[in-house]
Amino acid sequence: MDCNDSRSLLDAYLDKELDRAEARELEAHLDGCAACRAELTRLDALRVALRDRALRYPAPAALRERIALTAARDTDHAHAVPEDYAAAPRAVRGRAPGWLALAAACVLAFGAGGMIVHNWSPRSGGDASALLAHDLFASHWRALVAASPVDVVSSDRHTVKPWFAGKVAQAPVVADFAEQGFALVGGRIDYIGAQRVPVLAYRHGQHLIDVYVLPPDAATLPSEAREQGYSIERATLGGQPAAVVSDLDGIELAKFERLLSTRG
Amino acid sequence: MSGIAASAWVGELAQRHLDAAYNLGRWLLGNDHDAADAVHDAYVRAARAAHTYSGGNARAWWLAIVRNCCLARLSTRGRERALDDTTTVLPRTAANDVEERVDAAQSSVRLAAHLRALPAEFREALVLREFEDLSYREIADVLGVPIGTVMSRLSRGRALLQRALATGPAAEAADGL
Repeated sequence: MDCNDSRSLLDAYLDKELDRAEARELEAHLDGCAACRAELTRLDALRVALRDRALRYPAPAALRERIALTAARDTDHAHAVPEDYAAAPRAVRGRAPGWLALAAACVLAFGAGGMIVHNWSPRSGGDASALLAHDLFASHWRALVAASPVDVVSSDRHTVKPWFAGKVAQAPVVADFAEQGFALVGGRIDYIGAQRVPVLAYRHGQHLIDVYVLPPDAATLPSEAREQGYSIERATLGGQPAAVVSDLDGIELAKFERLLSTRG
Repeated sequence: MSGIAASAWVGELAQRHLDAAYNLGRWLLGNDHDAADAVHDAYVRAARAAHTYSGGNARAWWLAIVRNCCLARLSTRGRERALDDTTTVLPRTAANDVEERVDAAQSSVRLAAHLRALPAEFREALVLREFEDLSYREIADVLGVPIGTVMSRLSRGRALLQRALATGPAAEAADGL
């Protein structure tokens, strides 16, 4: 891949729209090309700036009410049962017309309003955290569907640690917890935003656990991040902040974090 | 489908994605009043056209209707009215009275002005991607263009935005609209 190919893929890469093979090929080019890495960093900075909530216009409450009222009026005027009633989504079947629907619309508007307050409450610093969480989940899921979740396959920490040397600024502390039920399967490097981050992969039964060793200047992780049954937990590894991404339940996760911290 | 079921279903959809709809309208039309009217039109149209929804991504279906209503409004509005209230650039800002936030607020004002000055085709693609986090597939559905076009518009839009940020002052960009 040359720089022209690389530049044409950078946007799609940051948007997580490249497949694993294309992403790998691009990363291989990025590893050796400072100019393309700089371009990726610029694009990432623009992405972060654009995602500033200050640039968004939330719907005014008046519009929300206006639509709820129009919806309630339509419902009220519909006396006949529609002929293709059966085709209606199940959730709305059997809803009573009239004031009940109006009440429902108001509740809906109220609930939606509450959601906005909730969504808008984080300070702008929250955006960087949310982006970081988003990137971590995306990376973990990509690893789950890939042929292999790691680039260096080894349960031997003496193989994994040197593999990182020279690829990232600081090779992470690598430990194997096979005896405790968390076997080291290997390591890889992923881009989180525009930064190269070492990732240690562990297996616990059927679960894959990714430990991302974050750079010191990384955004703070959200205190709780869950998506589709996966979670991100804060941890420390060898004094560096880390993020544990997995679908482990609380007890096992706590056990794993305790093990990690003994190396921190 | 008409009446009860249709409007209830579409009403819920519209409410759930009302911020996305309004934000898109606001960035396309440039003022609060037109954006609100366009989204309301879109709701009425969507409720009537609920039977044409044939599965697939409901958010993309709804946003496509919103966009059509915005474009219709843009074309009837023509040149008779000012496009934008550029003096009140930001709807709200993360900066309160905290001094250290001022820089951030100023740079978002600049960014907003440059984004507003982008041609609509790039602006709408960026709004859907960066503000609503739509996938390329969903953006393609909303805009009614192939995915390849979405890719090139995003890429070109970002390049234009970066160039504008690097060179032109924001005020000129806003006035030039």
